[in-house]
Amino acid sequence: MNRSWLRVFVAAFLEVIWVIGLAHAYDIWTWIGTIIALIISNYLMITAGQILPAGTVYAVFVGLGTSGTVISELLFFGEPFKWERIILISLLLIGVIGLKVITGNKHEKGAES
Amino acid sequence: MAWFSLIIAGVFEAFGVAMISRLRRKRNWQTVVLLIFGFGISLALLGYSLRFVAMGTGYAIWTGIGVVGGTFVGMVFYGESRDWRRLAFIALILFSTIGLKLVS
Repeated sequence: MNRSWLRVFVAAFLEVIWVIGLAHAYDIWTWIGTIIALIISNYLMITAGQILPAGTVYAVFVGLGTSGTVISELLFFGEPFKWERIILISLLLIGVIGLKVITGNKHEKGAES
Repeated sequence: MAWFSLIIAGVFEAFGVAMISRLRRKRNWQTVVLLIFGFGISLALLGYSLRFVAMGTGYAIWTGIGVVGGTFVGMVFYGESRDWRRLAFIALILFSTIGLKLVS
């Protein structure tokens, strides 16, 4: 495992953490944790995007981030499972990944989440 | 209101990303201020929306609108390709966003 890819995976994990924080933080400490996760996640993504092809990094990152938030809300926050929602989120994800992959790795866009 | 703020959050996200690209070409403090402003507003609106819209749905739409916005800016202002596949993926994202609103 390449160290730069490891950055992408840790960044995606922290992305899920800060999204959970934005949705559920309730006191000063959970907000501080949310902001720290947000900053580290973006730092790791930007630095990984400078080494690896940025379009590919973003596609992997957003795939992991989206599945992570969906799985977390189902597992930990009692969100009911709905097929139509999962299908639509998957279609949306195909759109995002498709755009990022064909827009190509020549642009360094998308280092941010 | 939560859905409206989610869409606007995505637009500000695209704006923030556009400021990152601009910062690469032009290093000045105005761009840094706009960048912080863009991401700040985007996250504040996303945080507000996620209190009402399911987390996975809200996050996916925020990302989707951000990417559509960024692609749109690239096409309109920087003469990037208007390849039919890119337009099809944009349409897919917008279609899924509307669908998610309807099933929520």
